[in-house]
Parts: sequence; structure tokens; C-alpha cells
Amino acid sequence: MISLSTALRARRGMMREWRLHALSIFSLAVAFVCLGASLLVVTNLRALEDRWAHAGRASVYLKDNASAEDIESVKQALLKVSGVKQVRYVSGQQARLDFGANQQERASSLAALPAEAFPSTLEVDVVPEMTDTELSDMAAKLQKVPSVEDVETYRAWTERLSRLISGGVAASALLALVVLGAVLAVVGSTIRLALQRRRTEVEVLKLVGATDGFVKGPYILEGSVQGAMGAVGATGLLAALFTIVRGRLDGEFVTLLGLQPQFLPWYAVVGLVCSGALLGAFAAMGSLRKLVLV
Amino acid sequence: MSRFDGPSSFRPALRAGARFSREAKDRPILTFESVYKSYRSGSPVLRGVHLTIERGEFVFVTGSSGAGKSTLLRLLYRSETVDDGRILFLGKDIARLKDDAIPFLRRNIGVVFQDFKLVPAWSVYENVAVALEVLGLPARLIRTRVGEALERVGLAGRGNDLAGVLSGGEQQRVATARAIVGEPALILADEPTGNLDPQLAIDILGLFEEVHEAGTTVVFATHDRTLLEVRPRRVVVLDEGKALDVPQGITIESDDHYRLPN
Repeated sequence: MISLSTALRARRGMMREWRLHALSIFSLAVAFVCLGASLLVVTNLRALEDRWAHAGRASVYLKDNASAEDIESVKQALLKVSGVKQVRYVSGQQARLDFGANQQERASSLAALPAEAFPSTLEVDVVPEMTDTELSDMAAKLQKVPSVEDVETYRAWTERLSRLISGGVAASALLALVVLGAVLAVVGSTIRLALQRRRTEVEVLKLVGATDGFVKGPYILEGSVQGAMGAVGATGLLAALFTIVRGRLDGEFVTLLGLQPQFLPWYAVVGLVCSGALLGAFAAMGSLRKLVLV
Repeated sequence: MSRFDGPSSFRPALRAGARFSREAKDRPILTFESVYKSYRSGSPVLRGVHLTIERGEFVFVTGSSGAGKSTLLRLLYRSETVDDGRILFLGKDIARLKDDAIPFLRRNIGVVFQDFKLVPAWSVYENVAVALEVLGLPARLIRTRVGEALERVGLAGRGNDLAGVLSGGEQQRVATARAIVGEPALILADEPTGNLDPQLAIDILGLFEEVHEAGTTVVFATHDRTLLEVRPRRVVVLDEGKALDVPQGITIESDDHYRLPN
């Protein structure tokens, strides 16, 4: 339990050596920015994976020689499958037009592409609850239909994205270890330096009968505040950078990925700050283990 | 009756759960029983010191440089431990105290040093109040008692001054205020006048005498012979590791010799 006296003494110590503490907080903020950035990437990749995994759609690519009757029979058969919401026929010409609407500056290049580049498709919307297995089964059956060239369930993309996320999580874990080391080193050094500078203070406290807890309390609190402020600073910096980047590239993100990038959820921010505070406190405790007894 | 009115008002600071023994009131405040201490093998600083100090006494501890005056005091506030023998504080063996009990011993002992041991960046008030903050007293009570202590040492109204900018004499007064503010049973003064000019030294001695008159036991280590002459009191002379007790005080014959009373 932090007493008022501990908090006041910690505040007094930090105010008197604000330069030392500011430098420490800045160093911690840099470390936390790296961790926060990797978390931000992982968070958005997860959102993308989630969106794609529950996109609830499949594209049935039709052969060039598929007749209108064949297409209609496939469409009707699909509509009878449990979980299929809607089936929409998109001709090759329509597909070219749709794509061209999003890539206006490349309209001339698109015009040069052959007709086979935009095959006719049946765009199938399914309910989000439809499992991967059910979708795969449906795709397998469709591929046996003579007028169907191929079926894209976008599962391969989801799997690739999952692998990318796993890599991102591993990288984040590695960065978390680096941050852990950085916090321990920076806070530990700062506290040891502060202790050295306040040696007389510690000596006086011990002489007048202060317990170890009373002497160490403010230093542990200072370490904790440094860690938390480093994390808060990093989150603020990351939020500012995120706002700038999103302001400039928001449209491109939506076009490419189909979703707006999101900042870290509140619980991740709270977790980051709490981790900073805890790590700072532990680092301070570690550096005070050999507190000189008077 | 003020809280400084004498030995009968004494109650030591105790650890939570510890009980105050009434028998402690009747015991000598300090008893040294065959105390040995050495920093290097073969050259002990203290060689079997026997000494008893009763409550409410004022005792000078003197001797040449390196005689063991500071060592004797450091053993008392457990900055050092004895190699052999016992030091009893109110009947309790200081050497056998566990580490977590040492702060509670120190709350019963006020210590004043030659180099003041003040935090220069703290105000006078903060330097004195720290002795009460460790006890967890309420802020209002701390303010009152620090004000009283500063008044007793002649520094009333100087609470906001930074300790680092005070004169030597003033700093020693602040250190004395810090030592007495917690109403300890025992005050240890380790060469408190060593850095002061002769007149200031006598003033500071007077301050300790006032504290003593209020009932506190004072052990005053000094090698300043003039102080011993100014105030003829009980003197303990440390010589070759032994303590020579001179209850009536001593006079100085020459630069090198003490004259003990017949």
C-alpha cells in the first residue's frame, strides 16, 4: 500500500531530479513505441484476418463457353444450399468496368488486357456462421460442375494472413523482451543514480529509524511512475503518428484491405501502461536490493 | 507537565506487537559488558569495555583520536556490531537485535554528528520532520512538534530556510532539533562541536545540557578538553581500548595529560 508520505517523497524526489527522470522516461517511451507499433500492426492484421475469415463470400469462376442455362442452373443450385444468402452473376465486361472504376489512372492499361483476364463469375454471399469446412465442401462440389472453371473461397489468403500474424506476434514477443530489458536497464540505472545522489538522504532516514520499506518506497514508486509515463508517452506518440498516417492514406487502406485501420484497443493501451508501471517497480526493487545499511 | 519533563514520561518506541516492560524503567539505560571491537585483527579498538550509564545522566566520552569514541557510539545505534561482549539498552542486548528491529532501536536514540548529516536540499523543517515522518505521525502533530523543537534550539521561524545555506552552528542546531524531536530516551553526540569555533561549541554544549535537564540521557563524545573543563561532569576516558570512568569529571594539566580527581 502506498502511503501519502511515500507519494509525497517520491514526488519531491522526481521534482528535484526532473532532468534525470525526464531522460529516463524518454528512453522508455522510445522502447515502448517499438512495442506499441508492433502491437498496432498485429491488431490491424488480426482485424483483417477476422474480416476475411468471416467475409462470407466465394467467387465461382465460369468457363468462357458456359451457356446462360448452365449459369442459371448453377445459380439455382447454389441458392438451395443451406447458408447461401445471395448469388449474383458478374459478367467479364462488368468485372472490367468495376475494376476500372477503382483504377481510373490505369484505364488505358486495363483496356489492353485480354478478355480472359476478367472471367464471368457467380459471386456467392454466405452467412458468416458458415464454417470453413462447409465452404470447402461446397467449393469441391462446384468444381465438379462442367461449366465451372475454379472456385475461390479466399481461404488461402486467410491462411497466409494467419501465418503473417503468427510472425507478427513472434516479433512482438521478441520486442516485448527487448522492452523488458530496456525498462529494467533504464529504470534500474536511473534509480541507482538517484540513490547515489540522495545517499545522504538515505543515510539520514536510516539513522532516524526508517524501515527498509519506508526508504525504498519512494524509489519503487518513482520507478513505477517512470515506466507508466514512458508507456503513456509512447502511446501518445504512436497515436499522433497513427493519426497522421491514417489521414493521408485512409482511402488507400480501405481500397487495398477493405477496412479502416484501427488504433490499439483501450485494453491494450491500459495493459501497456500497467506493464510499464509494473516493470518500472520491479526494476527499481531490483536495483534497491543492495541498499546500503547505515 | 510538558513531554520533556523528565525520565518518568519515557516510553520507548516499540515494534508493532511488542510490549513495553515496566521493569525497563528501573534498569540502567546502557550497560557495556566486556565489549570488544576491532576493525583489523590484532589491533582491537575496544578491549573489554565495562560501563554503566543510568537514565537521565550526562556523560562525556573522551580520548585521543582513534581511541574508539565514534566506534562506541556506532555500536550503540547498531551501525556496527560488537565482536564480543554485550551492550544492553534498557536491558535488551543490542547485538542480538534482528535487522528488522534496528529501526525501532534507532527511534529511541537521537544521534548528532560532527558533520551534521543534514540533507542540504531539504528545508530546516523537512530535516527535522523526517524523524517524525518515519513514525507515521499525522502531519498536524508533526508541524506542532517540529515547531517546538526548532524553538528549543533557537531556530524558531527558520523552518523554510534551506539547510545547505545555514552556518555551521545553525546546521548543528538543526541536527540537534532532529535528534530531540522524537523525544528519544538517549541522545548520542559524536563530536558535535568538532567543526565549530570555541564559543559556538559552548553554545551547542549548552543546548545539549538543556535537553539533558528535560530528562534525556546524553552521551557526548568529544576530544575538546575545554568543554570537559567548562562543565565538570561524569567523563568516560577511552584509552588503549579500555574505559576509565571518572564520575567527578577531570581537569586538564597540560596538552598531553588529564588529571583525575583523587
